[in-house]
Amino acid sequence: MSLSTKARALAFALGLAAAVPLAAQSSAIQLLATPEYLRPDPFGDVVAADKVAPNKGDAGGFAGSLRLEGARGGYVSFHLVAKMPQPGPYTLSLGFDRDHGKVQADLFREWFHFTESDKKYHPDALIPVASPYRSRMPEPDNRIAGQTAQAFWVDLWIPPDTEPATYTARAVLEASGSSSALPIELKVLPAVIPNDDVMLMDHNSYGTSWLADDYPAISRKLGDRFFQSDEFFRLIHAYHRIFYEHRGLFHQLGYGHAGKVGPEFAPALEGSGRSRHIANWMLYDRHYGPLFDGSAFAGTRRGPQPIPFVYLPINPEWPASFLNWGEPGYETEFVNVVSEMERHFREKGWTSTHFELFFNHKKRYMGFPWDGDEVRFPADNRYFLEYGRLLKKALPPSTPVKFVFRADVSWDMEQQFKDLAGVVNMWIASRDILSWLPHAPARQRARGDVIWYYSGPPVVTQPASTITQFPLEGWMWGVGGFVHWLAVGAGSDPWFHFDGGGTALVYSGDRFGIAGPIPSVRLKIQRNAVQELALLASFTKRRPLDELKTEAARLYNNTTPADWWNPRPAFADQATFEWSGTALDEASKPAMSHLEHIDPAAWARVRQYVMRLALRSNREVQ
Amino acid sequence: MKALLSIAVLLVPVAAAERDTARELNEVARVATVMVDGDVCQRIVTPRALDYMFKKDPRDPWVDGDNYEVNDKAFITVKKTLIRVSRLAPFPCDVNLWMPIAGHPEKVRVVIRNVNEMSQFWPWGKLYQDMIPQMKQVLETGRRITVTEKPGWVSVLAPVHNSLGDTVALVEAVSQTQLDPHENVK
Repeated sequence: MSLSTKARALAFALGLAAAVPLAAQSSAIQLLATPEYLRPDPFGDVVAADKVAPNKGDAGGFAGSLRLEGARGGYVSFHLVAKMPQPGPYTLSLGFDRDHGKVQADLFREWFHFTESDKKYHPDALIPVASPYRSRMPEPDNRIAGQTAQAFWVDLWIPPDTEPATYTARAVLEASGSSSALPIELKVLPAVIPNDDVMLMDHNSYGTSWLADDYPAISRKLGDRFFQSDEFFRLIHAYHRIFYEHRGLFHQLGYGHAGKVGPEFAPALEGSGRSRHIANWMLYDRHYGPLFDGSAFAGTRRGPQPIPFVYLPINPEWPASFLNWGEPGYETEFVNVVSEMERHFREKGWTSTHFELFFNHKKRYMGFPWDGDEVRFPADNRYFLEYGRLLKKALPPSTPVKFVFRADVSWDMEQQFKDLAGVVNMWIASRDILSWLPHAPARQRARGDVIWYYSGPPVVTQPASTITQFPLEGWMWGVGGFVHWLAVGAGSDPWFHFDGGGTALVYSGDRFGIAGPIPSVRLKIQRNAVQELALLASFTKRRPLDELKTEAARLYNNTTPADWWNPRPAFADQATFEWSGTALDEASKPAMSHLEHIDPAAWARVRQYVMRLALRSNREVQ
Repeated sequence: MKALLSIAVLLVPVAAAERDTARELNEVARVATVMVDGDVCQRIVTPRALDYMFKKDPRDPWVDGDNYEVNDKAFITVKKTLIRVSRLAPFPCDVNLWMPIAGHPEKVRVVIRNVNEMSQFWPWGKLYQDMIPQMKQVLETGRRITVTEKPGWVSVLAPVHNSLGDTVALVEAVSQTQLDPHENVK
């Protein structure tokens, strides 16, 4: 399929009504739109990664008007591109023509990051702006010589109680005494996207020291008081909120590989042995209280809800001192303090959140003699059994507080599923190894376990649609969630010397005077895929799950559900410590080969299928 | 002149605090030399892990760390001793264990770290690193050395002997004049 053919398929799927002829694109100011999967560059083209084949000058995908459709309880998104052949001031406005019901429009200016790896510009960070937006080309703070196009991300939010109808809006670019308008038609379908997702997209992070670095305007002002200030806790909650609003969740691990616990991640302890106890909950409750009772999410579009999962600070050095490991004092310290925690959570009514006993340490970091994370040497599993015993002893059998024992598993996963059954009940599995265990997700879930898998965000130099593979793959596999292992580390200079964003899906808003994170194009695309997947999965009431998966796989990358799994390699029968990393990579290649080059229209085709089903489902109900 | 005097006045308490810290850490390190069993230290890291430590494979960049393993009984024995000794100090202090690497005299490795996650020398995540000159001196002379190269940090390095009387390891008794409760929480 050629670029132009794919661009047409994408335009059709996204409702880009009128493609703009190339000849008409150069002389005057223009306001155009591209689908969310075709990221504009600052010179009026689409970034190379989002083209199917290099074809300089082919701007397929730009349209002069939009016809969109979307389900209620979800977003419809696109890029607006203001093109100006000459430098100068401009105004961009976006508004609905008449009654727009409850539909709301959010406008973001796209920051063009200069990526060091390919020396090119890619849009990713999204700066919220109000309409009308007034600026000039080239955008002063982005500092791109010769910039002729500025991109904007538009989110149209359709609340669940929106009246199904067709709404019209208009975006207008004004500059140099002339204007260019882009009409937008949004058809709101009766279908409502479920609020609960079939894939929980988790965004992981470590500690809080990075907050001081990422928000110098706040941390310098507060100095030593920063880490205990209201501003600090507001920042933490802002990170939870941004991921929640993008149909995801946020994890912050609060301890190091040798057991150092950040003060805001754990209640303060006193005493030792029999006398060890919790002395004060002040920082812990300031941090977590609003997250566990949901009040941190007041005013969000999804409404206040307690966070579903959280790390506990428990590690081999907390709450029991490793000095006493193997002795009665260790058990006493552990059981007494964890019992106090259970009681505190119960008394506060924090019974919706899953509290994760999780070990992140690795022996290669010299803190402890066993691997808590990604066990490779099976002898280490005996430590899990011991902690399972201690946890059981600490908790009342009928506690309404949801404690779970989480393990992030890779090398020894297959054996751990068996040996730690009934002890570990939350599994975060390596993508590679899980790919050859097709029966594992259903088996683990059947026994009541949580099973997710992990990888990391695609970099901005990969096609924009790449990030959609994670929710889809997880759903195809039958797991319940996905972890981006690090989602807040944008590097030392994401603005002008970007590392690509392989560890970031949000950015600090500090540079723009915003005391909190700002989203990214990739996060938005992920959110949209997750919401559409939730809608697709809801059709299992009327259609077999296998049929939905088969069609989604075919449309996404012309595969069958079986293609998403790998054969179990022969070396899997050897002791795990004999496996090599290269053999592991080889073993995961067959399924990965189908996901290496996701074309821009991949998710658009799935989305179109979902919308078709939504319409059909509505007719069936009527 | 006035400005210089002010600076001098400001520096005096810091220098005094560092001296007190160094004195306490020196005592901790002296006791560690007596209490830490060098023979047990030599049994901590397995020969297999040491073999993998220097393997390089461009297709498998984590081959060294993925194969890092320890004898947990030896590790725990020594770690408990290090924790006990660290509690001699009246302030937060870690006592880390460092060892030379047979066949690689220009390299040194940290073997056990502790709960405050402090070290004046360890670049986070390294399995081994270039030999620290002061460590080399301790290993060669068997004498304790105080290092205050990194501003705000005080480390006292002291030898650890085995039953043959060989200096087979060293401890780093370390603290900071101003603790950072958030550093290395990752």
